[in-house]
Amino acid sequence: MTRLKRRGGILLLLAVAVVSLFLPAVKLYIHSQLGEEVAGLFSPTLSSFSLMKGDGALPLSSVPALASLHFEGWMLTGGCVCLLVAACLGFLGSGWMLSLSLALSLFSAALSASFAMHLQNLAGSLLFSLMITVQWAAYVPLVCALAIAVWVLVIILKEKEGIQLSEAAWRRLMALFAAFALVCCFLPVYRVAVPATITSTSSDADEMNRSTSIFTYALGQEEMLNEGKKAGFYQDVMTGDLQELEKYSGNGNDLRGIFLIPSTSGNQVRNLAVLCAMALLLLTLILSLIPSVDKWFPVALSLLSLIAFGSSVLGMMSVGSGDMYSGASRQLTYMGLGSVTPWPLVGLVVLCLGTLAGVMCIRVANSPYFVNPIPESVRLRVVALTLAVIALALTLAPQATFSFYRPGKTKAVSSVTMTGVQMVTFSTPEDMLSPKDNKGKDMYTEEGAEDTLSLSAVTGKMQDMTRQLGLTSWASIALMLIGIAVLCMKKQRKIAIAAFLLSFGVRVVTWLQMSSLMPAVIGSAEPSFFLYATLPVLIFAAFFANFADMAELPKKYKLFLMMLPFLLAVFLFSYLPLYGWSYAFYNYKFGMPMSEQEFVGFKWFSEMVNNPGQRENIVRVLKNTFGMSGLNLLTSWLPMVFAIFLNEITRTRFKKFVQIFTTLPNFISWALVFSFAMCLFAMDTGIYSKFMLAIGAIKEPVAWLNSTEHIWLKMWGWNTWKGLGWGAIMYLAAIAGIDQEQYEAARVDGANRWHQMRYITLPGLLPTFFVLLMLSISNILNNGMEQYLVFQNPMNKATIEVLDLYVYNITIASRGTTLYSFATAIGILKTLVSVTLLFSANFVSKKLRGESIM
Amino acid sequence: MAKNQVSSNPHDQHHPVKLSRGDKIFNVCNYLVFILITLACIFPFYYLFINTISDNEMVRLGQIQLIPRGIHFENYVQVMKIDGIIDALFVSIARTVLGTLWTVGGCAFLGYLCTKQEMWLRKVWYRLIIITMYFSAGLIPWYMNLRMLGFLDNFWVYVIPGLVSPYNVILVKTFIEALPPSLEESATLDGAGYTRVFMSVIMPLITPILATLCIFSAVGQWNSFTDTMMLMPSGKYYTLQFLLYKYQNEASSLAALVRNTQDSSALGNLATKQTALSVRMTVAMVVTFPILLVYPFFQRYFVKGIMIGAVKG
Repeated sequence: MTRLKRRGGILLLLAVAVVSLFLPAVKLYIHSQLGEEVAGLFSPTLSSFSLMKGDGALPLSSVPALASLHFEGWMLTGGCVCLLVAACLGFLGSGWMLSLSLALSLFSAALSASFAMHLQNLAGSLLFSLMITVQWAAYVPLVCALAIAVWVLVIILKEKEGIQLSEAAWRRLMALFAAFALVCCFLPVYRVAVPATITSTSSDADEMNRSTSIFTYALGQEEMLNEGKKAGFYQDVMTGDLQELEKYSGNGNDLRGIFLIPSTSGNQVRNLAVLCAMALLLLTLILSLIPSVDKWFPVALSLLSLIAFGSSVLGMMSVGSGDMYSGASRQLTYMGLGSVTPWPLVGLVVLCLGTLAGVMCIRVANSPYFVNPIPESVRLRVVALTLAVIALALTLAPQATFSFYRPGKTKAVSSVTMTGVQMVTFSTPEDMLSPKDNKGKDMYTEEGAEDTLSLSAVTGKMQDMTRQLGLTSWASIALMLIGIAVLCMKKQRKIAIAAFLLSFGVRVVTWLQMSSLMPAVIGSAEPSFFLYATLPVLIFAAFFANFADMAELPKKYKLFLMMLPFLLAVFLFSYLPLYGWSYAFYNYKFGMPMSEQEFVGFKWFSEMVNNPGQRENIVRVLKNTFGMSGLNLLTSWLPMVFAIFLNEITRTRFKKFVQIFTTLPNFISWALVFSFAMCLFAMDTGIYSKFMLAIGAIKEPVAWLNSTEHIWLKMWGWNTWKGLGWGAIMYLAAIAGIDQEQYEAARVDGANRWHQMRYITLPGLLPTFFVLLMLSISNILNNGMEQYLVFQNPMNKATIEVLDLYVYNITIASRGTTLYSFATAIGILKTLVSVTLLFSANFVSKKLRGESIM
Repeated sequence: MAKNQVSSNPHDQHHPVKLSRGDKIFNVCNYLVFILITLACIFPFYYLFINTISDNEMVRLGQIQLIPRGIHFENYVQVMKIDGIIDALFVSIARTVLGTLWTVGGCAFLGYLCTKQEMWLRKVWYRLIIITMYFSAGLIPWYMNLRMLGFLDNFWVYVIPGLVSPYNVILVKTFIEALPPSLEESATLDGAGYTRVFMSVIMPLITPILATLCIFSAVGQWNSFTDTMMLMPSGKYYTLQFLLYKYQNEASSLAALVRNTQDSSALGNLATKQTALSVRMTVAMVVTFPILLVYPFFQRYFVKGIMIGAVKG
């Protein structure tokens, strides 16, 4: 009886799984396009049980184009048998039988998952979506199998009180997982099945039917298919039906793309990543089998391979339009021509498990946290050396990207290493360098440049430049080598530091040279990523060289190093945008480099006042901004009153209830608020119109959302609806902080409720109110744009546009605008005014209350 | 202030006092007003919901106002089939989860680092971080900066720029400073480095504030749509919120979508036939559900969080 109590759930789950087999799992309906005679062949719903029986359940053979597709009924059959055995074992067994049950139920889950995935693949395909929808019952066996597995696992853990595996066992487990993940690389990722009926010949179909594993993909065998595309092979093949299908596929998905899966640009990197991942996996496998190796190594390797494998798998899955796992599968299955298998994902999961097993191995072995193999005394020296070598490598890499362009039409690009020996290598068509305008004149010579921009001239110039830049590059390389040598010899570290810092300086000179040497007529030279990267690496090399003789970095610098990534993020996302303020002083044109822009000084600022059209706009927008902010400011006491009166309610339940539901609107987006508005105030269906008509307040439905009447009030209303309850929370907290004895003393003195509210609660809340008021005054210009953005439409635009929204509307929202500089100027003024307001508010607060609000 | 519960009430303790007539009238009015306000807050949710599950033809004619009629759930099934919805859902979930973990993890660790007096130039760095709270470069420089950094049409723009949020850093820092320093000292004596101390001593102690930050960040991530609008010009990585916004604004694209879903839907049954209105409302409801689901569980954290914020002022 206790067994039934403890394990009865397993039987229940099994029962659910079995019952679900007879529930409708797939709904078939026929689309009118396929015609009456085919429609007659379909039954309305099918249960998993009938699917298990195999192809016969679906009259697929009657639709010729689909003949090659079939339901893999055996997967579900196998899954159900496994589940049955697993459940019996789980209910009755003990010891190893439980483990077997766990394994079987997991296997069953895998089979059911494959089945469900297959179904989903089919149902997602274009042809099948005309007749199939998968229903929830198809997934029940999967869920049941997983639930049983968890249940059995819990039983095992309870009976054994934790799994006791030896260190060696964990290690072997890790090796096993690594091996399995390796195998997964060879299992197919895609299966493409092209029925003979839609190709011109059956041999073509044979050629196209294939499965691709990650491995073949990494080896670049798919390149052959590219060749095929060039030869026009697939264009010929895909005739007839497919062109019909192309109409449906829409979204610009190129059908041929499916057959040419890996032809995107990131390919090279991904190929490398796959091969790396496989090599790492192999290493993990070997190292985890050797007991004497430090256990940390296979774990670290496994983690690395996890990263490489994961990125490549996800990258591969996302080939096509979608950029997500579903992308490729959607493309393939859209056509009903293929499917994506779960193998790579299985490989990923297995790899995760393997890493976990490795970690468990370390824990069981009770080995200390990672033992650094580098001796303590030279650790910082090694870091400094490594950084210096990296800097060296970066210096030898391409240093600049050169762009040659003619006005309007950019450009031929070439990257150049600057070490001086290399010849300039670029393959630029002659006409790119000496472009003729449509009258046949040389465009550049007209501008008065003396350069004859022939290919040889440019090449010569480039060689000159390279020579000059090469000098500084070689100098910095020499300096780095000196630094490295000094560090290696454990001599004076000061020399090494000086060398690194000097080479840093020389690199900066190179950087400056680069922009000045390139004749502006030809084009521009942009330092490549490598040059930028060298600079911080050198600084850090010098930094670590300073501590080269110490065993450990001093604490204050250690902390600083930890802080550094955050500082970098702050710099990148908060300070770097300030650079954009310079746009306000230029006549900024989108997509041109800064050096090409026209400097206009304070033109845009004066335009705000002097240009009547702009002035009118600015005044209007400011009026809106101040109007709506002002309304909110004038009513900013509402939350306080709300809190005071809510506090007068004695029933805690009710109070809580009110609090919860009035806060809710604060947590939904403005887009959603607008949906509400749209439904409630819809012209002819909304409850507002119906109600007003019913009580006779209006004669005919009004377009409430489109009308410009009282738009400020309406905006204020929505803002209050959203923020009232939320704003009150802070006051409620403040009320809770008021000394209770004051109330009691007041009551003894005969104060009634009103007096208490007026003379105790209200004064207690005023400081909070004051702080919030000051903050909202300083934010008067920043009333955000989301609310006004969702509510704006052509009708009410004039009265709803606030400053932020206006800036958005004239720039990002309108394509091809030239007002970027103007908008930036507005932004600068806005920020300056806001900051001034904030400091004044802070000043006032300090004067009045002796407390700062910042 | 922060220690007291919001619900504790000055009037809870005294009861034997007889209520005067004025008090009674006041009470009735007060209750009535609050019931009305609460209804006003709930009703839109309810209204939208009944409209999505009612007979679509009746909705179109505006016959569903207070009670759902002709209940069916076909709208939800059909909406899930709209091309892109599942992707958008996936993006929304991914950005919410990743963005929240990233922000909260980053701010927690940074807050911890900021409490370390021995750091080189600590005050300078701390001020540099905090000061960013008070100014912004403006929309265009912000946009151009992200563009320059290659974040346009990039999923990670939802996640990475949110690493440091000064306000959260202040909250965490204040919270950690209130902890007894002895705990950390003893761990340091045991030989734990900064990361170890943070992971195994500080983290467990600051979970309340982290939970609060998580919720705010997650809600913010889930609700945000203007970033999608500006930073995804080529239409990748749309989020649910943005789709909702888009459907509201682009009647034509919605009509096309509706027609597409119609093609594959079962029959021309008017009751379950999709209309532009039904799709809009259903998507809105789909977006709302997650918030409604988590809201009751986390409501108390909101209160806690805003109180911690209030202490700082």
